[in-house]
Amino acid sequence: MRARPTPLRPRLATWLALGWLALLVSAGLLAPWLPLPYAPATPDLLHITTPPAWGAGGPPHYLGTDPLGRDVLAGLLAGAQRLVLLTLPAVALATLAGALTGAAAGFWGNRHLRLPAAAATWVLAAAWWALSFPFQEVLFLLVGVSFLLTLVTWRTARRATHSRRYTFALPLDSLVLGATTLLGSVPRLVLLVALAAGPPPSPRQLIGLLALLAWPEAARLVRGQMRWVRAQPFIEAARASGLPPGTIWWHHALPHACRPLLAFAPLSLAGLVGLESSLAFLGIGQGPDVVSWGSQLATMRQDSTAWWVAVFPGLALLFTLLALQKMAAVASKRVDR
Amino acid sequence: MLRWLLGRLARAAGAAWLTASLVFIGSRLLPGGPDQLALADASDLSRPVAGTRPAATQQAARLAVRNRLGLAQPIFYVTRTAGQWQWHGTANQYHRWAKAALHGDLGYSYRDGQPVATLLVHALRYTLPLAASAAGLAVGLALALGLYLARATGSVWQRLVANLLNCLQITPLFLLALGLLLLFANPEFLNLLPAAGQAPGAASHGQLAAYWLGRLALPLLSLVLAVLPELTLPLAAGLRQEATSGYATTARAKGLTTRQMLRHHALPNAVIPLLTTLTDLLPTLVAGTVIVEVLFALPGSGRLLAEAAAAHDYPLVVGGVLVTATARLLGLLLADVLYFLVDPRLRPTA
Amino acid sequence: MKYFWLGSLFALLASACSTPPVKQASSPIYTRWARDPETLDPLAVPNQSAIDAANLLHMALLLVDYQANAYAPALAQALPQVRTIGDSLTALGYELRAAATWDDGQPVLATDVDFTLKLLQCPGLPNENSRAQFGFIRQVLIDPANPRRFTLVCRGQGTEIMTGSGDFSILPEAALDPAHTLRRWPLAVLQDWPAARAPAPAVAALVQRYQRANLARQPGNMPGCGPYRLAAWETNQQLRFQRKAHWWADKLRPAPFVLQARPQELVFAVLPDDAAAALALRRHDLDVYPQVPARIFQQLQASPKAREELVFYTKSSYDILTAGFNTRRPALHDRRTRQALSQLFDPAGLLAATQLGQGNRTVGLLPPSSPFYNDSLPLPALAPILAARLLRQAGWQRRADGHWWQPGEAAPLALTVRYRAEEATFATTALQFQAAAARVGIAVALLPTENSVLTNALQTGDFDLYIRLVKGSPFGFNFATFLHSNAIGSGNITGFSNPVADRLLLAIPAEGNLPRKRLLLRRLQVVLREEMPLLPLFFLPYRLAASRQLRHVVASGIKPGYAITALSWPAADAQLAGTH
Repeated sequence: MRARPTPLRPRLATWLALGWLALLVSAGLLAPWLPLPYAPATPDLLHITTPPAWGAGGPPHYLGTDPLGRDVLAGLLAGAQRLVLLTLPAVALATLAGALTGAAAGFWGNRHLRLPAAAATWVLAAAWWALSFPFQEVLFLLVGVSFLLTLVTWRTARRATHSRRYTFALPLDSLVLGATTLLGSVPRLVLLVALAAGPPPSPRQLIGLLALLAWPEAARLVRGQMRWVRAQPFIEAARASGLPPGTIWWHHALPHACRPLLAFAPLSLAGLVGLESSLAFLGIGQGPDVVSWGSQLATMRQDSTAWWVAVFPGLALLFTLLALQKMAAVASKRVDR
Repeated sequence: MLRWLLGRLARAAGAAWLTASLVFIGSRLLPGGPDQLALADASDLSRPVAGTRPAATQQAARLAVRNRLGLAQPIFYVTRTAGQWQWHGTANQYHRWAKAALHGDLGYSYRDGQPVATLLVHALRYTLPLAASAAGLAVGLALALGLYLARATGSVWQRLVANLLNCLQITPLFLLALGLLLLFANPEFLNLLPAAGQAPGAASHGQLAAYWLGRLALPLLSLVLAVLPELTLPLAAGLRQEATSGYATTARAKGLTTRQMLRHHALPNAVIPLLTTLTDLLPTLVAGTVIVEVLFALPGSGRLLAEAAAAHDYPLVVGGVLVTATARLLGLLLADVLYFLVDPRLRPTA
Repeated sequence: MKYFWLGSLFALLASACSTPPVKQASSPIYTRWARDPETLDPLAVPNQSAIDAANLLHMALLLVDYQANAYAPALAQALPQVRTIGDSLTALGYELRAAATWDDGQPVLATDVDFTLKLLQCPGLPNENSRAQFGFIRQVLIDPANPRRFTLVCRGQGTEIMTGSGDFSILPEAALDPAHTLRRWPLAVLQDWPAARAPAPAVAALVQRYQRANLARQPGNMPGCGPYRLAAWETNQQLRFQRKAHWWADKLRPAPFVLQARPQELVFAVLPDDAAAALALRRHDLDVYPQVPARIFQQLQASPKAREELVFYTKSSYDILTAGFNTRRPALHDRRTRQALSQLFDPAGLLAATQLGQGNRTVGLLPPSSPFYNDSLPLPALAPILAARLLRQAGWQRRADGHWWQPGEAAPLALTVRYRAEEATFATTALQFQAAAARVGIAVALLPTENSVLTNALQTGDFDLYIRLVKGSPFGFNFATFLHSNAIGSGNITGFSNPVADRLLLAIPAEGNLPRKRLLLRRLQVVLREEMPLLPLFFLPYRLAASRQLRHVVASGIKPGYAITALSWPAADAQLAGTH
């Protein structure tokens, strides 16, 4: 296939994508200060489920109202704020965490990462103390053994990842796979019913929660790709040239293993928004005073003839997705060059 | 290879057991429970609870429910109360459940007293064919569309297909299903397929088969459309990226058409993310189709587990989690086997 | 092969332009249920679908007559004779109908009633709900001269004792307990059996026998005396009931309304999604759609084709949308604060917005159509200025930041509202309250909660306000279950405790004299309005959509909102007329 001639300046599509993303970020950050006729979560009881109207008495609902009476335009801007401040950081965090853990699991597998034996006993002692198990004498025993082991292995501790003395192999692959399995096999609903039992999460906790739900997929993608990269000749060459495994992993293997993430990250964003709307569909999640594009899509269920409730957030989401994909394509082209 | 397979299967069984155990213990630690839901609402004036000590009466009723359901015993061998650990021996709920489960008895549902295994099998009879055919159809379509999009001829149709896939990506599943329902099962528009309702009473096998085919067409279509973008778009991107590599140029120079080059040479290298995503879909065969089942009124396992979770029907939830965890672990196993089949260099790790 | 596909396509397209099929006399009537009954065990009726099914399979002493909106005798010959004993007991004299028999021909006798009440007390059966509900019946005295006549001695006095005493399904003693093992214990002994003591071996044996019968899935394992039998049950999908060919009440002349069972076959389709159920109704897959949500009702009425094929009914029900306050919270301790907050709800607007204007606003827990309604009280309305004034009277001061502070307190007035998630009506109400409160300077946090978590949170007092439905009934005024001070810990989630109200709450059900009762109820409404532990917003309507071909459709405001056994097709009526 003939490589396309590289353009001297970015094309119109790239400018449009950048422009939309800039609009989104500015709308999201400035949303509380924009002069809107209606506040996002205020129901207008006289205008429930009204189609978009321009003109007429009183400030008009430019994009209509939803079955709860909330203004759709105000909801769009509030959703943009939530997207910029909550969902995007969650996606970034999930992608980062997934990439690192998946790449580590794929690179070192179950046998190649060796840790000093002292580490295991220290961790065990810490757990014993934190959970305040009975028989506190065991705690002292563990601490003593840990000290001893640390002293003995101090000389070889720096090279513990190579040496086999007083080290044990951390089954990283099994741990990561087990964690992803645990998160994936508990039905979302059970997990969310359990979470709903507690107090509603703060924004920081919510970012962590969303990242926790989106992390396994990224980890598995990168793990699969890393298994393939690990078998490539250039990795063999790097190992033969004497580079430490950590450097090989960080500088050479990781960038290639993260290749599928560029296509995955925009999808992950769409996935998280879809998760929000599924939660709203199933009746779990934030209250109606917290408006997001996902929950706006979900209110379509209450009145299926109100097309404006789904079309406008849907278009916004579509443009965001296309823009992110365009950015990902541009980034991958630059990486390949 | 066989030893590796057996080792992985054993580990998978252990991990599924661990997951189910964690859900078992976790569900019983949640506040509220089936005893609270089983009792009628005291503000329901049509069923007044007359009496001089209503609080004591309700407390006694709740205790009776817990005793009947076996929830009055301690949860695990050890419990921690007020900072102290207490040993309970084998007289605890977990031991009873584990012993029964190892004999194949997953317990009885709290709501209707039927064996959990029977309920799950009945429900899976509807979900498995639906989800399996959706997965198969989606993979086939994804491969075809991915190869089509990777050819990058820049035609209008390609752009249309890519944009359509993007639109499908952002549409949540229930909106898709609702849209299909309103389009194809609506007397106002096109009344093509039975969305819900009666099967023809005493009908022949052919009629019954035709009815169920019609009934499952819309749910199948919504599932396939929901899953298609996340299979196709990364594959197309990966193929396009592979097409710029050295061996692809050599293949073209050799005289192969783009299509042949993509299918025979680029596809095996770019298919690994597709395999990962595909095997992620396996647990949804059991529990992920709840939205489609609610909208199209199919008595499948997704809906069963969702209702069980909402009603705190613990045996059914734990049984469902066991089956889902097993499905997911088998999916992971399948993924590793498929990686090896696609690229023999990817020897499976122990 | 291609002709097969062409043919199917043609058949599909042909079915697209369908007309409603003409119904035969024996065509089944399809009704929508929102959820599966889960169990058909007559001792455990967990939800409305199970109650409907139990009314088809079994009979009770008294059943609701949906035409008259009152209890009517079903298995009993007439309404019971009420006689008060002392000041705390009531004796109800019942006589069973002579024609009533079980499926196997045995007559229904008073011993069956006695057995059923004792079965409600056996531990190990799913009867805890019924045990709590019918625990006020303490003795069954069977007339030695007439095996069908008996007296129920009940604890408590009032009209609810009479109506509440007859609402349980009677089970056959001969089939479940042929050795009459339960007869040796009086009912009161079984009721007072301590929970820690193991049940008697005969009772345990009976429980095991009952469980083996598996009545939860196969109610046909036991002879019943209801008009229908279960023909098929596909879980979560569909239930099919077949009319028994020979039912004992067919011979009765004149046939009382509650003992009519016209449909030959009833099919209940379990359709959890409202929009999908509306589509099924339009496609003629459903004939009856009870409790239609407001939006869908509006959409159906707007379509001319739907108006041709369907008939729409709206009846005012006894369910009240209520906002309640947690009187135990220090911020809500003062009743003026609660009154102020009640002025921030807009019942008129909410009624128009969520219920299309149907339904009734109210001043208290009684409907405006009730003769005991206190019409001298003003209807609650949105009045933010009055709310601010009441807050100032209660000692709150509005500071520069716009919030209200109590002198000496560290935090301003801020509230959390809990309500059941997934209900649009509750969400709109909560949003409106939040917006109105924000304009006055009160920060409100909304917590839509999942059902089981909500129940737990309300019981433990983890809320400031709640929004829920109080399910009322026309048969009694026993508000003590959720307003009396000794119900704190069970039904009284607001923590309301007021001695005047307590006296009124206990006196009202026991009062037989109507003018005095009216006085007491009016006074109670005034007290509740002043103390404001909860604010009733409005009564919700029940909406019903039924096929135009159905005859004898009786819509009612009492759950489930329609009388299923009175329905029939015109062909069946013609057949019946032809045979007479």
